[in-house]
Amino acid sequence: MLGFLTRRLAGAFLVLLLVSVLSFGIIWLVPGDPAAVFLDAGATPDQVERLRRELGLDKPLAMQVVEWYSRILKGDLGRSILLSRGVTEAIIERLPVTLSLAGISLVLSVVAGVAAGMVAATKHGQPVDQAVMAGALFGLSIPEFWLGLVLIVVFAVQLGVLPTGGFVPPTESITGWIRSITLPAIALAVVHMGFIARMTRAALLEVLSQDFIRTADSKGLTRLHILLRHGLPNALIPILTVTGIVAGSLLGGTVIIEQVFSIPGVGRLIIGAILSRDFPVIQGGLLFVALVYLTINLLVDICYAIVDPRVRLE
Amino acid sequence: MTRRITWSALAFAAAALAAGSAMAQKKGGDVVIAITQAPPAVDAHVTSAQAARNITLHIFETLYARDEKAQPQPELAEGVNISADGLTYVFPLRKGVKFHNGKEMTSADVVASLERYRKVGASATLLGQIDTVSASGPYEVTIKLKTVQSTFLDNLSSPRAPIAIYPAEEAAKAANQINYIGTGPYRFVEYKPDSHVKLVRYDGYSQNPKATGRDGFAGKKEVYLDTVTFRFMPEAGARNAAFEAGEVHLVETVDGPTAKRFANNSKIAIHKALPFALQVIKFNHAQAPGNDVNFRLAVQTAIDMEEIMAIAFADIYQMDPSWLYPGSHAHNDAGKARYNTADLKAAKALLDKSSYKKEKLIFMVDSGRQNVDTATVIQQRLKEIGIDIELKVADWPTVSKIGFTKEGWNFWAHGFGIEPYEGPASVMSPWVNGTSQQAKDEKIDRLFDQLNREMDVNKRKALFTEFQQHMWDNAIAMKAGNYGLFQVATTRLKNFTPYRIPRMWGVWLE
Repeated sequence: MLGFLTRRLAGAFLVLLLVSVLSFGIIWLVPGDPAAVFLDAGATPDQVERLRRELGLDKPLAMQVVEWYSRILKGDLGRSILLSRGVTEAIIERLPVTLSLAGISLVLSVVAGVAAGMVAATKHGQPVDQAVMAGALFGLSIPEFWLGLVLIVVFAVQLGVLPTGGFVPPTESITGWIRSITLPAIALAVVHMGFIARMTRAALLEVLSQDFIRTADSKGLTRLHILLRHGLPNALIPILTVTGIVAGSLLGGTVIIEQVFSIPGVGRLIIGAILSRDFPVIQGGLLFVALVYLTINLLVDICYAIVDPRVRLE
Repeated sequence: MTRRITWSALAFAAAALAAGSAMAQKKGGDVVIAITQAPPAVDAHVTSAQAARNITLHIFETLYARDEKAQPQPELAEGVNISADGLTYVFPLRKGVKFHNGKEMTSADVVASLERYRKVGASATLLGQIDTVSASGPYEVTIKLKTVQSTFLDNLSSPRAPIAIYPAEEAAKAANQINYIGTGPYRFVEYKPDSHVKLVRYDGYSQNPKATGRDGFAGKKEVYLDTVTFRFMPEAGARNAAFEAGEVHLVETVDGPTAKRFANNSKIAIHKALPFALQVIKFNHAQAPGNDVNFRLAVQTAIDMEEIMAIAFADIYQMDPSWLYPGSHAHNDAGKARYNTADLKAAKALLDKSSYKKEKLIFMVDSGRQNVDTATVIQQRLKEIGIDIELKVADWPTVSKIGFTKEGWNFWAHGFGIEPYEGPASVMSPWVNGTSQQAKDEKIDRLFDQLNREMDVNKRKALFTEFQQHMWDNAIAMKAGNYGLFQVATTRLKNFTPYRIPRMWGVWLE
């Protein structure tokens, strides 16, 4: 286990190094800088140049690279040009928002997706199976932003039962938090529900056709007992893999959903930084997202071994 | 007797009307305004972004401010005494003006603020002619200029990146490091990044005693609302939904179809902020064929300006050859004969005389729908006379970076909003030294220099008219028309009139 973890952490470090190089390089390849956001269309190049000097954007590339790496090695992601605060601070401020959104979406996706997949697998070939799979396919095909807007129109504008957007921290009001997070979490979860449902169904169908299931059946066990005690645990590895992918993908999804619902999370921070060329936030944000992905993958690998002792981490 | 009774009745009716009007103005209420993007800063000095102006001009004030007709009027200054040689400006300051921290504004604050702006101001060139700024008394500031500048008061009152007066201790701080303390009618409460800025009514606000009513950025600033929250909502659909759900009281801008949809709703008032900007199409004079006047004139002659405006800004445009807004003292129709000619035959003849060799040309625009529409209409129109155009669409930082270089583009379309509002010098300025067209134009440079030195208003108007004629005669750049913004508000928000920013003074909630 220790050897496995050491190898994975070393690999993760290399990936992070690669991401840091790429994020720095991409930013330098894309034209434009934050000066364009501070100034209006009529700003002259002199004004732009003056502001670039003020913002420290006129430093030579090599100096900026050295500064960037000396900072991140100390765990400092730098200082945002537009937000007047540290990048780490800006991410940490928004992290609870994004984590609560992604976390609730993940729970919704897994619970609803696995349940739907189980129903479809046990009713294989029947109208229920076809209906669940059609629903899953529909969910998979809906763009998140479109679903978000439809949910807003129906539940906020027409019915007036939920807010159109914004975020209420749970520390301020628990009910306010639930109300503010419900629509975005559903919009984010639907696509992934469909994905998990289809994977669960496929994995369960394969397990349910195995000899040991037939044996359990011949022992006179109930269908539910067979499904929960023998079927689902043996189908967990692919479901776990998909859940890991979904967890990462949810973080990507928050970028869109946070825009649609005006939620001040990490996704909105990064998209805002890209549009305004807030270089330190882009670089720090990408590095942070990569770190989250790597952590999720590592956790999924560890979970494999816990769920299925046959998987040997070494 | 009859006459006496009539006069008494009239006086009574007038008093009753006045009382009724006063009764209607209700104090209290919280207004939420949806704006399209977050301000890059709330430090008024360091940004000229519209999103920042929306907020900062409620918190901060300037020595002089523009009135409804964009003319400079004293705001924190009582007035100005200009020396005979035009080089010395003495500003007596209003006494008893309190900052939001309770401190009284004095000349030390004004001097510190002006000095800071010269160092960190986003439009520091506005004060570029200042030689020295000094406190000539506790309530008097003297500014000496290096050379005569007829536009100095225009510059000082520019709302572009406002030359706001901060307390001296704040003005001593670096860009973006200040506490947001001003003298304006609203006080800063909080800035939640990616979410909102909240302001609260400043009950200690010192009204300008000379002001009689709401007047542009100057005038009387009577505040009835308790708070104003500016919510940053980049998604148009989400903004409109929040408005329909009653979470937002005013939307900074909606598109034409949405305004039409709302028009049938008796609880919604549609406001037109028109004109808000000019739609301008630039040529790159540093590259062939943009360096050929015959080519530029061919394009200008071919284009149907009304078609552009009707498609890109349906129901919210004005056709006007002037590079200034109607109502501006220097507004004129020089070049009218060359505007909106849409003459393909004449254009083809000019094109044949030009150096254009059927090469593919790049029309660069940002991803704003109106600018893409403008470029698309022009692309299709010019195809009819054999000009081959490729559209390149990118985000604003990319486009604005490339657009001030000599390569990578032939045409570029975007709005000019604040420049025509500010006046002739601001409209001319982007073309001085070839900044926008990438090739120096001696005539424009000379006219700009003359305009800056000329103190006579009528002579300045004549110089601007000459500039405008030159723009059209040589197709330095083209102006398609004036466009506006549809703003929507709940009918509960009373006495709102659109302006350069959604002003939250003089309005109340019912």
